[in-house]
Amino acid sequence: MILIFGGVYQGKLEYAIGRFGLTEEDITLCADENATCPTGRKVIGDIEKWILALIKDDKNVLEETEQFINKNRDTIVICTDISCGIVPIDPIMRKWREEVGKFLGLLATNSDEVIRLYCGIPTILKQGI
Amino acid sequence: MRIFISGGCKNGKSTYAQKLAKHQHNSPLYYVATMSSVDSEDDERIIRHKQERAGWGFLTIEQPRNIIEILDKCDPSGSFLLDSLTALLANEMFTPSGKVDEHASERIAYQLSDVLHKIQNIVIVSDYIYSDAMLYDPLTEAYRKSLAYLDRLAAKCCDVVLEAAYTQIIVHKGDHIGEMI
Repeated sequence: MILIFGGVYQGKLEYAIGRFGLTEEDITLCADENATCPTGRKVIGDIEKWILALIKDDKNVLEETEQFINKNRDTIVICTDISCGIVPIDPIMRKWREEVGKFLGLLATNSDEVIRLYCGIPTILKQGI
Repeated sequence: MRIFISGGCKNGKSTYAQKLAKHQHNSPLYYVATMSSVDSEDDERIIRHKQERAGWGFLTIEQPRNIIEILDKCDPSGSFLLDSLTALLANEMFTPSGKVDEHASERIAYQLSDVLHKIQNIVIVSDYIYSDAMLYDPLTEAYRKSLAYLDRLAAKCCDVVLEAAYTQIIVHKGDHIGEMI
């Protein structure tokens, strides 16, 4: 697994497309209404939205995310880092923020490579397990 | 040298950017002020910024909109500090009449490209507003998207790209920054 994370609009998907020569069919983007575990594509993007869908559906996030990792060992996973702002008043948003944080930790531990994007510029934080 | 610096609030970006601008060798040294005051809180912030800059030798140019005009008002061979893209975009996007200009970022991108083409010594400050757990209204989201677009454009055109992280500076692009500080 390869993890690409960073703030919103920092060029994460663009980096993946450029580096791995991907086409549209290789990419799936998650939505916050769909709690089905995404799998079967080279790139799974907006994974934080899937986490929000799990929370909204009252699913066990830890179980679901562990399954996700088992199903996506050879996938490039893109996640928006939402950990650096104000703690949200809305309890669902608060839970979302924490669950995405935990999930990113889990993803990073299980990834062969971890890349952070800032203003379109990649920094490789981890390479090789 | 063209330098882009961003980061979270209260990370010391502006002060660090002032130091970087001061280290550029070409004179005159311009401070491009982009804030346009809307209330007493802004007035206080502007006064605080002016006090912080006093004695640094900056010539202040008020340019809350149309950044391209600095090319006419100033000597392009001087050194510039542009603080900040955040305010510039807010002023261009949210007009005093209450109308929202959805093409603001394209216009700024065009003007900024020209500015960065003609000015060699400039420090540009922006704000990193991309990592919070919020689903924003479409207008706020459009503003974030536009600022990120301008940030990426500036980062592409600049020789050095920095991130301020609580007194620490992360160098994302350009390795000759060490000589300057």
